[in-house]
Amino acid sequence: MLFGTAAASAALLAAGCTSNDSDDGGENTSADQAGVADDKPGKKVTVGFAGPQADHGWLNAITQQAKARAKKYEDVTLEATEGSNDNATQIGQIETLINKKVDVLVVLPADGKALTQVGLKAMRAGIPVVNLDRIFDSAQAYRCWIGGDNYGMGLNAGRFIGEQLKDKKGAKVVELAGQDNLELTRQRTQGFDDALKNYPNIKKVARQAAEFTVESGQEKMAQLLRAQSGFDALWNHDDDQGVGAERAIKQAGRDEFLMVGGAGSKRVMETIKGDKGVLKATVLYPPTMAASAIDLARALGQGKGVGGMAEFEIPASITLYSAVVTKENVDEYLPIGFT
Amino acid sequence: MTPPTSVAPEAETPSAAKQGPAGRRIRIDVRHLSLLGVLLALVVVGAITKPDEFLATDNFRLILTQASVIGVVTVGVTFVIIGGGIDLSVGAIVALASVWATTVATQEYGLAGMLLCSLLVGLGCGLVNGLLIAYGPMVPFIATLAMLASARGLALQISDGKTQVVTVQSVLDLGVPDSYVLGVPPIVLVFLGVGVLGWLVLNRTTFGRRTVAVGGNPEASRLAGIAVKRQRLLLYLLSGLCCGIAAFLLIILTGSGQNTNGNLYELDAIAAAIIGGTLLSGGRGTILGSVLGVLVFTTITNLFALNNLQTDVQQIAKGAIIVAAVLVQKGRFTP
Amino acid sequence: MAPLLTMSGITKSFPGVRALDGVDLDVEPGEVHCLLGQNGAGKSTLIKVLSGAHQPDGGEITWQGEPVRLPTPVSAMRLGIATIYQELDLVEHVSVTENVFLGHEVASRGVIRPREARARTAELLARLGHPEIDPGTLISRLSAAGAQIVSMARALSHDVRMIIMDEPSAALDPDEVDNLFRIVRDLTADGVAVVYISHRLEEIRRIGDRVSVLKDGRVAARDLPARTTPTDEVVALMTGRDTQHAFPERSARDAAGPSVLRVEGLARAGEFAPLDLEVRPGEIVGLAGLVGSGRSEILETIYGARRPSAGRVLVDDRPVRPGDIPAAVRAGIGLAPEERKSQALLMLESVTRNVSVSSLPRFSRGGWLDRVRERDRARARTRELALAPDEPERQVSTFSGGNQQKVVLARWLLRECRVLLLDEPTRGVDVGARAELYAVIRRLADSGVCVLLVSSEVPEVLGLADRVLVLREGAVVHRAPSRELDEHRVLDLVMEGGPA
Repeated sequence: MLFGTAAASAALLAAGCTSNDSDDGGENTSADQAGVADDKPGKKVTVGFAGPQADHGWLNAITQQAKARAKKYEDVTLEATEGSNDNATQIGQIETLINKKVDVLVVLPADGKALTQVGLKAMRAGIPVVNLDRIFDSAQAYRCWIGGDNYGMGLNAGRFIGEQLKDKKGAKVVELAGQDNLELTRQRTQGFDDALKNYPNIKKVARQAAEFTVESGQEKMAQLLRAQSGFDALWNHDDDQGVGAERAIKQAGRDEFLMVGGAGSKRVMETIKGDKGVLKATVLYPPTMAASAIDLARALGQGKGVGGMAEFEIPASITLYSAVVTKENVDEYLPIGFT
Repeated sequence: MTPPTSVAPEAETPSAAKQGPAGRRIRIDVRHLSLLGVLLALVVVGAITKPDEFLATDNFRLILTQASVIGVVTVGVTFVIIGGGIDLSVGAIVALASVWATTVATQEYGLAGMLLCSLLVGLGCGLVNGLLIAYGPMVPFIATLAMLASARGLALQISDGKTQVVTVQSVLDLGVPDSYVLGVPPIVLVFLGVGVLGWLVLNRTTFGRRTVAVGGNPEASRLAGIAVKRQRLLLYLLSGLCCGIAAFLLIILTGSGQNTNGNLYELDAIAAAIIGGTLLSGGRGTILGSVLGVLVFTTITNLFALNNLQTDVQQIAKGAIIVAAVLVQKGRFTP
Repeated sequence: MAPLLTMSGITKSFPGVRALDGVDLDVEPGEVHCLLGQNGAGKSTLIKVLSGAHQPDGGEITWQGEPVRLPTPVSAMRLGIATIYQELDLVEHVSVTENVFLGHEVASRGVIRPREARARTAELLARLGHPEIDPGTLISRLSAAGAQIVSMARALSHDVRMIIMDEPSAALDPDEVDNLFRIVRDLTADGVAVVYISHRLEEIRRIGDRVSVLKDGRVAARDLPARTTPTDEVVALMTGRDTQHAFPERSARDAAGPSVLRVEGLARAGEFAPLDLEVRPGEIVGLAGLVGSGRSEILETIYGARRPSAGRVLVDDRPVRPGDIPAAVRAGIGLAPEERKSQALLMLESVTRNVSVSSLPRFSRGGWLDRVRERDRARARTRELALAPDEPERQVSTFSGGNQQKVVLARWLLRECRVLLLDEPTRGVDVGARAELYAVIRRLADSGVCVLLVSSEVPEVLGLADRVLVLREGAVVHRAPSRELDEHRVLDLVMEGGPA
């Protein structure tokens, strides 16, 4: 089975995958699942990995997931570059990896559009590229894209809130969005709005955009709480800025609403499990996709397909499911919560 | 040397307002009046658009709280600018101090340890800035730009990109309503304290007088016997200290430390000082003006959030208000 | 021969000063016309009018028989008038070629043609006797003499009919001066007129044809033959001014007691030779010399603004830490610098703050100012000096030059300084206000302060000082009580460097 991590299997198969042992750090594998031949050492594969600077909880988790996964395989050597948010720097780093003739490249671009050319270059040089999350402009620039579903994240957050409030007349919802100059924030909001359309009794009364930082989360949430004297639900796009948002809620002494998070940090999952505050759920944007990307890269390098699927080749694109983590299923997901 | 262009003699610091032996004229700084006018206009807009939410004690408390962190930073930056320098590293120093003070190791020492750590990190960064600028070969712009980069980098390294949540209860308690003194949050009290102290230091001490002199005409100050280099060093130390205080306030406010803290504080602080009437070339400025500048910005943000305006509109309007505020001031000055 | 240039009745006023008061001048093609005059006689203003940098208030300029106006430097250049200023106006970090053709680049349709520009620059440099200067070198790498040559090449790069040279030999060695004269002769042989300004009479004798003498903005003499007019006569023409300087009486008693300021072998390499000097309380000692004679440098070195290469300064027999202004101020030394606005005053601040800035610790406890005492003490000092208007809270920039100087003096009075160094104390001060300032300086000395005075105006030094040191090129060439000297003698010493 290629997609060993809990989140990825849950996502791909969209089925109640129950065979996950919860061991530490998101490295747990369902190694005892069917079709595990690939876990045995095979042909040696050198995987080049280039990602953005890990200055934020989720990005940090991505790097760690990739490194831990690669370590697990004796036959995989990981060549990871220093993370950078600068397009030019990242292009240079990837070109270095191409010149080193790595077998497969895993790239999480700082900006997908800006790095398309270097993806094409790698593919032309015969190095298959696994494009992680932020998608290149051209399908020719990658062999396989794997990433989260920002629209789906909003959709699932909206559905969850909708189901909770469907019997309430004149329900009010508030949205604390992420950084507004990123496309993914717009996609998340779009999904959220589309989901809420199914519930005519619910109205989104306010939205403010924070900047994925604790500081901005605190600031914008404090303002939202002032602006809205009473509402029923809050969706916060990002659990990292949620640290600030929850702080603001505590400072305002408010608890009349339910809060849904985003991304899935360990801290948030523990809060959900404890069930003491307003935080009732979080919508996943699983960083385990990096571990899966290493699996895909290894399969590409060894010329194998994905376990659990009929095809000989690995798929061209894989969109992960944004599961909703609630008190009921939180134990399953706790191991992949990032810090 | 700044040419005394449009600055009329009646434009004086508030300290001068009450002077003159027989109380000849009571004068209030024109710049402060125009800023108060802008602030008043914002309050009117708030009262019309969102009477219930805006005109509430809670809301004024919120505006003051949100102004506190950047306000403390701005007081330090105002001193540096009046002294003829610039400090671009304040946001990065706040980030580094907040991260360093919230590591697991530091948190073991409790509130006092975290506070001390914040202040020392701020002072340390200020010392490096000051030494490079006053005794080294570097201009303030470049030295503090270098500090910006390295402090942010160090903050990232220490935090490993993670949000460091505070677990020390006594620190967390300082940010919740139970800790309010007569309805005023401790964070706001610190801001007020720093503001009043800053005003006193600028207007009532030899340090303040020398800051104005060095910023207004460094050569004349040197030839008047002022130790110009030492003064510059002290100014950057002061700015660093303010960053340390601000970092601790931010820790209380957010209950955490993160390397992305203090994002673009340098520009916000400089903008607030400038619309508060501080000359970017040095030699003139007031603490009251800077504090009013910060309050104008915070009130704008608050007003927009209450009216559910989105980031794009907020940014456009913020730029327009900066221009308007400066134009109003200049309009009063041109005869 | 028809004159190339005629100026008649040129007037030009600046606030408080009438710099040119009806000047007539005519220059013929191919002659070297020398302009002489003391500092402030109006030479610089006249040059600036000629080069289009200043507009005259009245009078007429005729160029080759046609009346002309010179509204900008470019218009003067178009006529063929080029100026080589005393302070060279070259761009430091740019090549020789680019400097030569600055503003009129060799180009076709806006595109620079570097090879042609280089070739033409090399040609000009060769003509000036310096083919060794590489047209591609940066100006900052050249010596002062080299820069002068480039400046001249720039003048010649235009189709030039008249060149104005303002003290061209000031920065040159004797060899280089010879080369300069050769160039001047070449130019005049081609019919180019040269207006030559210099303080060195011997040079004027060697190269000049006719001499015009300026004094107080008027022409004191014209058409003097450069080679044959006796030095005596020239100096007399330069100095014979109206007695507009009313100097206060020297105090009856001679300054007595031990000297407070003692300077022992103080020197700065390249600026001034080892200097010994003593000033007793109540005494005013004057330093007379031309610009560049090292007089300001001496004051600044005593004050610690420059670090000496040898020697020491003692106040009350205690050595003062060299190169440390705060130490000098603590020892009781005060300086009123030459450039009042940029070096002495905080122009945005009030009078009080300008006066108190050097004495702040006296009004503070633990760093906190006692502003009432500060204001009262500062005010007492400014009243003593009769500051007008008597408004200590007014911004200092709104005061006249003479009153601004009083503010600077009040600063040192308040500091109770023992030694006062005055660099050009009446620069930019109206003639009428000078007498008042002289009285103030005398009163200060009488109260027991040691005063060391620098001025380019010889009558001022002679009128105020008790003793005078005459400086030439960084060295003292003569010392004498001022009553044994006269203006004529000092100017002789300053310009010719005659035996002491």
